[in-house]
Amino acid sequence: MSRYHQPHDTVSEYSDIRSWRSASLIDRVYVGYGLVVVVLVVLSYLLGMLGWLPSDPDGMDLANMLAGPLTEGHILGTDYLGRDLQTRLIIGIQAYFLPGLLSIVIALALGAALGVLSGYRGGRSEIAVTYVTNLVDALPRLVLMLLVIAAFKPGIYTIMVVLGLTSAPTVAMLVKGKIQMLRQRNFIESAVALGISPARIILKHILWYNCRALLLIQATLGMAEAVLLETSLSYLGFGVQEPTPSWGNMVQAGANYLLQGNFWVSTAPALAILFTVLGFHLLGDGLNNMFEGKRQR
Amino acid sequence: MSATPLLRIEDLRTYFYSRAKQAFIRSVDGVDLDVARGETLGIVGESGSGKSVTMHSALGLITATPGVISGRVVFHDETPRDLLAGLDTSARLERRDDRIMAVEKDNRAWQKQVERNLDGIRGGKIAMIFQNPKAAMNPYETIGAQISEAVRLHTANKSPAEARERALHWLDAVRIDSPRLRYDNYPYGLSGGMCQRAMVAMALAAEPRMLIADEPTTGLDATIQARIVELLEELKTRFGMTMVLISHDIGVIARLSDRIAVMYGGRVLESGPAAMLLEQSEQGHPYTHALLASMPRTQNVKAGGRLPAIEGEVLDTINVPRGCRFRERCQRMHDGIRARCAEQEPELVEVTPGRRVRCWLYQA
Repeated sequence: MSRYHQPHDTVSEYSDIRSWRSASLIDRVYVGYGLVVVVLVVLSYLLGMLGWLPSDPDGMDLANMLAGPLTEGHILGTDYLGRDLQTRLIIGIQAYFLPGLLSIVIALALGAALGVLSGYRGGRSEIAVTYVTNLVDALPRLVLMLLVIAAFKPGIYTIMVVLGLTSAPTVAMLVKGKIQMLRQRNFIESAVALGISPARIILKHILWYNCRALLLIQATLGMAEAVLLETSLSYLGFGVQEPTPSWGNMVQAGANYLLQGNFWVSTAPALAILFTVLGFHLLGDGLNNMFEGKRQR
Repeated sequence: MSATPLLRIEDLRTYFYSRAKQAFIRSVDGVDLDVARGETLGIVGESGSGKSVTMHSALGLITATPGVISGRVVFHDETPRDLLAGLDTSARLERRDDRIMAVEKDNRAWQKQVERNLDGIRGGKIAMIFQNPKAAMNPYETIGAQISEAVRLHTANKSPAEARERALHWLDAVRIDSPRLRYDNYPYGLSGGMCQRAMVAMALAAEPRMLIADEPTTGLDATIQARIVELLEELKTRFGMTMVLISHDIGVIARLSDRIAVMYGGRVLESGPAAMLLEQSEQGHPYTHALLASMPRTQNVKAGGRLPAIEGEVLDTINVPRGCRFRERCQRMHDGIRARCAEQEPELVEVTPGRRVRCWLYQA
């Protein structure tokens, strides 16, 4: 027996993963590139964890200091101590990978909880959540982080917890908006009339079916934010400290040699940051257009 | 109505608090209704008459927090059960001269009590269908999965395979062609009429004792309306379903109802057997009569005249006037009763067997 599907062109209002084929070329390129970046980052992270590296990240090749790319034995060259840049870039992922995930989990979990609280319950809890989120939004994030670092100990996890907490309001507002939209379409009311328990309505019908695209997009943007924040703080010396490599402190260490004409030591990690952040952003952008942007077309 | 009714609503009152106007809106203000087993009760009335709010209150679907509901809603399945039991303990009304002055309400306790009262009833024993079915279904889940969920939630068919079979059965029962193909469709892929059928299937999947249809044909085009009315008619004859039909379309009500209740300004103005109300409207409430006269009919068109309209505005349910609620717009008020109409609101009294009217015309 043959199966019939709705032709995708007629899908006007809602879409899901299946809309890949109907997505525009540019969105497909965005998402494709983003996925390549994600896969590379995850693979490199796992390689680093397992210790399957091209060479020792702290091993100094004194014969080949400040070597350019494509030097024998060092595909991406070496830094001012003759350490292999490719290896250090791979290890550098560990500086933001798990902490970044932590900040995403905090932002999504807290944001979803607050969003449901204000959107589903309404009333006083909605007012409270709105005030708290406005308050958090009004605080300059970097200043807040430096304050927390000063008050506690400087550590990437502390920073990422703060990042997660300060990102939660955005997620909360998006989830709240979605729920209010659903309420308007009396979708929640009919679920209640069907005798479905509130927990099930919230978890299955609201968060899973109606908010998963939104949460996925926020996760990719959150990771981009985490990479940028970790590298900029490490660049400033507040994040990961030498000799542990981080893309941020690698740029910083290499910067001293820029004026001597050895621009590559600094440029290699900078490019890594650029392509990675770009990848996560384009992934989020493309997914957003695929999931949510259908309605306008 | 010899046997006990399946659903009896006694003195139901639903008041909302309007923050903007600093006043209470009396959406439903003392409604009494009976729904007998196997019958279809049509509730008709214009927008804001409280017909929808009445049934939503009975099912605990009123969520506007300062809303207060009082009265009794007894669902008599095997044992009678008051769906509003215990709510008065978590809300206190302060009245002065029949006006509500203040309300104290413990919202959390209220909501908990509603859940307790309606556990197993809502969706299971009493199912509901809404207008605009597309907005009422989960847009991201196939209709089959949604119907299966209702099956697994409310019947003994717990395994996914069994639930799927039952869901297919109900899709077939509501005359959706090739149910096996439609099972995997999302709501956006279905037409409005098809979606309403799926919605009915979802309601039936729980095998309820009673079906509440809230404006089931509103928003559908005329030919589809006729199909949905046929479907509901079939449910009556095939399953002997007890139904409450809420509509402002007296044509739909006339087609389907055994009994009709006419609501206005939060109260029932007249109730009785459908045929009696429709055919002998001049012996009933002036409002019912005016409502029927304003319906487009062939003889009205042939006469070439203008369609009679009910003059005036819908009742202001915040400042309910003394006396009869329909007085301002009434065409049949004469000098003999004018004073009484302005002074006191008539009771709902039986004028002929089975027919009850709230009008001084019949109360000498």
